[in-house]
Order: sequence, then structure tokens, then C-alpha cells
Amino acid sequence: MKVFIVPPNSLILFDLVERYGHEPLSLMGAIHERIVNPEVESPPMNVTPEDVKKGLKYAGIEVPSGIRGRLAVWGPLIDQADAAVIMDDAPFEFGCVGCHRTDEMVRYYIKKRKIPSIVVRYPTNEEEAKLMVAKIKEFLEGLK
Amino acid sequence: MAKEFETRMIVISPSSPVTPDQVTRLVHSLGLKITVKETCYGAMIEGGKEEVHKALVAIRKLDPDRIFTKVRGFPIGDTRRCRAHHGSRPGFTQLEKEWECLKLVDKGVSAAERGEQVCERPRPGKLPVKRLREIVDEVSK
Amino acid sequence: MIKIAQLSCGTEYSGVQSEIEMAATTVGAKMVYPDVEAKDIEDAVDKFGFNPTSAQLKLMIARAVAVTEGKYDADAIFISSCFRCAEAALIRNELRRYVQEHSRLPVVTYSFTERTKSGQLLTRMEALVTIVERKELLARERQVGLTAGIDSGSSTTKAMIMRDNHIIGKFWHKTGEVVACAEEALDKALAEAGVKRNQLEAIGVTGYGRFTIGKALKCDLIQEELTVNSKGAVWLADRQKGEATIIDIGGMDNKAITVRDGIPDNFTMGGICAGASGRFLEMTANRLKVDITDLGALADQGDWKKVEMNSYCSIFGIQSLVTSLASGHALADVAAAACHSVAEQVYEQQLQEIDVRHPVIQVGGTSLISGLVTAVGNVVGERPIVPPNSQYIGAAGAALLSSGFLEGHR
Repeated sequence: MKVFIVPPNSLILFDLVERYGHEPLSLMGAIHERIVNPEVESPPMNVTPEDVKKGLKYAGIEVPSGIRGRLAVWGPLIDQADAAVIMDDAPFEFGCVGCHRTDEMVRYYIKKRKIPSIVVRYPTNEEEAKLMVAKIKEFLEGLK
Repeated sequence: MAKEFETRMIVISPSSPVTPDQVTRLVHSLGLKITVKETCYGAMIEGGKEEVHKALVAIRKLDPDRIFTKVRGFPIGDTRRCRAHHGSRPGFTQLEKEWECLKLVDKGVSAAERGEQVCERPRPGKLPVKRLREIVDEVSK
Repeated sequence: MIKIAQLSCGTEYSGVQSEIEMAATTVGAKMVYPDVEAKDIEDAVDKFGFNPTSAQLKLMIARAVAVTEGKYDADAIFISSCFRCAEAALIRNELRRYVQEHSRLPVVTYSFTERTKSGQLLTRMEALVTIVERKELLARERQVGLTAGIDSGSSTTKAMIMRDNHIIGKFWHKTGEVVACAEEALDKALAEAGVKRNQLEAIGVTGYGRFTIGKALKCDLIQEELTVNSKGAVWLADRQKGEATIIDIGGMDNKAITVRDGIPDNFTMGGICAGASGRFLEMTANRLKVDITDLGALADQGDWKKVEMNSYCSIFGIQSLVTSLASGHALADVAAAACHSVAEQVYEQQLQEIDVRHPVIQVGGTSLISGLVTAVGNVVGERPIVPPNSQYIGAAGAALLSSGFLEGHR
């Protein structure tokens, strides 16, 4: 099954989803398709202004372009997701996932789609790490 | 570039004895038509999706619980993402942070593999205002 | 290669990163992203004192700290974030202040939308490069020899002839075909000066038409208007040393520049709409059936508070102008309101992106409209200095700076 991850570029979540038998829907994959597309003469950096317009499906024109552009990439991934794994309190939300407003919108959109999802907390010690992995494993193995 | 083309990051947990050099040597020895580049956190491999996945299976075997992987959007050596060319990109800091976390996560993976039972302890909630008031009174005495 | 450190959030996801890089490359610079380690981010945010929720903004802060502490080598700074993002707008402005307090690097801020194109960024990037590359030239305080300066603006073209630090000829007229207009302005200024074109030792050109004119007239100096105008302004106002703010309300866009010893260290440029520029005052003068040169004096007799006007958009601005005239308001009050509205736009759009330093020098053709100077004075809290020949700043700056190329040969 296709599993969307939050943060969408997380190494840890990508690895765990794949490790436990599912296809992670990652931001990197979506970006990869854009930048190596042979039909684009000069591949754009991440997204094009056209993508940003597509983001209007998820957020109105009064929303900053960076949010619409992010949603234009992540929105379609959530649309095709069968499930989602969300990590709370991740200390690593840099780069692509650096916008907190987008992050909130993504979580909301997952809820709205009513797909099976699990929220885990970023671990602060070994015990919590074990719990986090166990919960994710159980969730993923239970997906049918 | 073919659509079935993939770039992967291989990230070795800080607690693993496996070195990036071992990973690259292993990939070379597999004789697959893929490119491999050693990095400070592990390696990057790139090629046809099928071949890349074959290599992944072999790489993981080096230390199953402590080698992690994810796809990378930009191809190896793409100057738009090259640190030498531009200085580091935001994703670098993210990877650095996640790499640090792997030493915790790998313990979780091992425990899950062993089927170790872990019970969730509820996190303490916020102190009731009434109790806080009592404490304030006690402390200010 | 000039390295411009990019401190930003949202550029790649707005589809404008390649436009930013293209603008930098066009002016011979490159964008760089200061290296920071994950562990430095928290410390940097702590040092800065503002802890934003968005991680990319935290990274932006850490990068700024790395540059100001000399841990990363850069020549200039470009701070940018999405238009309409409140969190980023707060960080953008405070970070710009931090950078200026902790370094001497020139900095420019910009808020973009997905429609931002490299052309809009070009003049800003070019100015950053000029400030870094031509530091010595910009430090020049005296004009030497016989030189000419041409300023090809969106509304008017100006020319000035200078000899040994004195103005000996000048001319301005409306811009039409850029090269022909520049030649005519130059010839008329030369005629006033009583010298021939072949006697000129150097020519400098600035403004929108600078590249075309520079090539056609084989100019020695072709330079953007931010640095040239600053130089012209401090020379004309005799404020070469120390700090100042230069406000130039142009025909198409506005500039607000802070200078230290005549060299810009922070500037903004823009104007969402012609409503915030000289063009709106021209439209107002036409509607009031007064000459633009009389608009200022008329405005000075009026009271802007009596008329409600907001020229955020020139169409709406003219609409409220028509409505107020129809309801019987005095021409003087309407003229004052138009001036106040433009000044307010400049205050809201440009002066929020820089820290006003004293004195304030107002220049450009619109500085001749006294009502506008009064209005700017009202919003900034002190009446700006309007130097003599204030409409000629670009031409004066170009004549002064082009003489810098003569030194070695004398």
C-alpha cells in the first residue's frame, strides 16, 4: 500500500515504511520526477510557477506562494495515499518541510481524507524509540 | 533519463561498525550497472530501479537493523544540489539530525525484530490549576 | 566571483529559485547557502532571540549568524521570503537588522510571489555586486576632468555635464525612444556647458535605458541607479560622510536607500502599483487641470485630512479623486491628499524594509513637488533635505563616478 509520511522527506519514516513492506510516498520521489523529466528542457528547481498555481486546489490565492507550491507537490501524494504515518515533535523539519503552516495543513488534509493513519512521537530515549518502531510496525503490518 | 531510474541514500547509523568504505566496496563487488559514491554518512547509489533494489538487499545484509535508506530527489553530482558548488542545502541539516537519531531508532528496529513487548507510558499531562495554586501557596510560605 | 549569501524561505517551492540564480549569474555573481551544522541552529536562534515555529526560518537565522560571525565567506546578503507570510516577514526584517548590526555586508530584502522573474531582481543584484566590486569607485567624493552623466528614467531622461567638481550644463526632458532622447539631452546639456561631445573625457549612464544607451554612446560607466543615485544624492546634498536615507519616488518605482559614507548598505525598490509613484501625481495633476510643476505648491495650501484617498491602486486612487472633486472638495485638499497617499505608500512599502537614518534626503523629479516633500516629512517625522538639482541625481552620480575612470590616466 502507498503510505504518506510526515515529515515527507524523513529518512527514518521512509526506511521504516519500506522495511515493513509498503511503498513510501515521498517528497523526494515527487521531486525526482520533476527534475529528471526529459521533456523539460531546463529542469526546474523543485517546482515551477505552474505547480504553484496547481496548489490553488489546496489553498487560496491569499496563501503565500511557498505554501501553495509545497501543497502542489504533497497534495497529490496525499490524494493517492492509502495510509499515513505522522511523526510529532520531530527535531528535523528543515529544508523542504521547513514551513510550519504547510505542515499543519498537511496533517489536516490527511485527517480530512479519512485514511488510516498513525501519529507517533519522536523518541527522546531508547524506550520511546522501541515504542515508536513497534507502533509503526504494528500499524503497517495491519494495513490490508 | 529513464523513468525507472533511482538515486538512493544509504545512511549508516552512528552505532554501526560498518563503514562507508565497506558499503561502496560491496556495491562494486556486486557487478551491477549502478553508480556508487561514498559519503560521510554512508553512500549514494544510482541506476536502474531494479538494480538499485538488488544492491539495497545486499547492503542491508551488512547490518540489517542499522543501515537505513531513502530515495534522493536529485541525481548524484547534480550541481544544483552539490555542496561544493553552492554550500550546503537545507536537506543537509535535516539528514544530519536524522542521522543522529538513528542510534535510537536502530534499537527500536532490533527490539521490533526480536518481538520485544513495549508498553506505552502515558506522558504526564499539565498540572491542574488547583494543584498549582496549592504549590504556590506552599512555596511562598 | 561575487558570493551573495541567500537567506530565504520558500524560494524553491515558489518556483523562483532559478530566477534568483539567473539574476545573480547575469550580473556576474552567484548565490551561496551558508553551511551550518544542525547543532548550530539552536544556538543561533538563541543568540538571535526570536524563535520561529517554521524550521526553515530557524535555518535562515543560523545562516545569518554564520555569515556575520565570519564562519562563512560571503560578499553580500540577499534576504527573501514569501509575500504575505507573517512569520517570515517578521524574521526577514529583524534578521536584516541583525545582519546590519553585526556586519558591514550590503544587504537587500525581497518578498516574492510565484510571479517574480529574474528581471525584477536584476537591478537589486547588480547593485549588490557594484557595492562589492566597485568599492573604491563608489568612495569617490569629487568629480574630476570633463565628464557627462545620463540618467534614462522611465518618465524623463536627464543629462549633466561636470567639470572639476562643478555642474556646467544640464538638461532634462520626457523619455521617448531611449537613445535619441539621451543624445538630445546630452547635446542640449553640452550646448549649455559650451563644450563639444568629443571633448568629454568620460560618459556615465544609469537608469532603465542604461544598457542600450551605454552601447550606443560607448559609455565608460554603465551602472544601475541604486548606487549611482545614492552617490549623486550625497554629492548634491553635500552629505558625503556619515549616514543618510535617500528617498527617490520615481515615475515607475520607488527607491529607499540607506547609505554610510555615500555607499548604500541597504535598499528597497519597488512599488506594487503606479499608485505609489510619481505617475499617480502626474495623473492627479492632469485631472485637476494644473501643471505638474504647480501641484506641489497647491498641495501645500491644502489639508489632506479633509479628503479620503488611498492610492494603493492608481485606478482606485483616481476614482476617489474624482469622487472627492464631485462632492465639492477644494482642489488644494485633493492635491494634498494625493501627495499624502503617495508618501504613505512609500512609508508602508519601502520604509518598512529599511531603517530610516538621518538626515533624509529626498531626490528625483518628484522631489520638486513641495507638497510631496511635506507629505514625506509628515510620515517620516522630519522634513527631508531636497538638494539643489535634485532631479539630476542619476546624471550627477554618473558624471561623478565616470570620472573615476580618468584618474589612472592623469
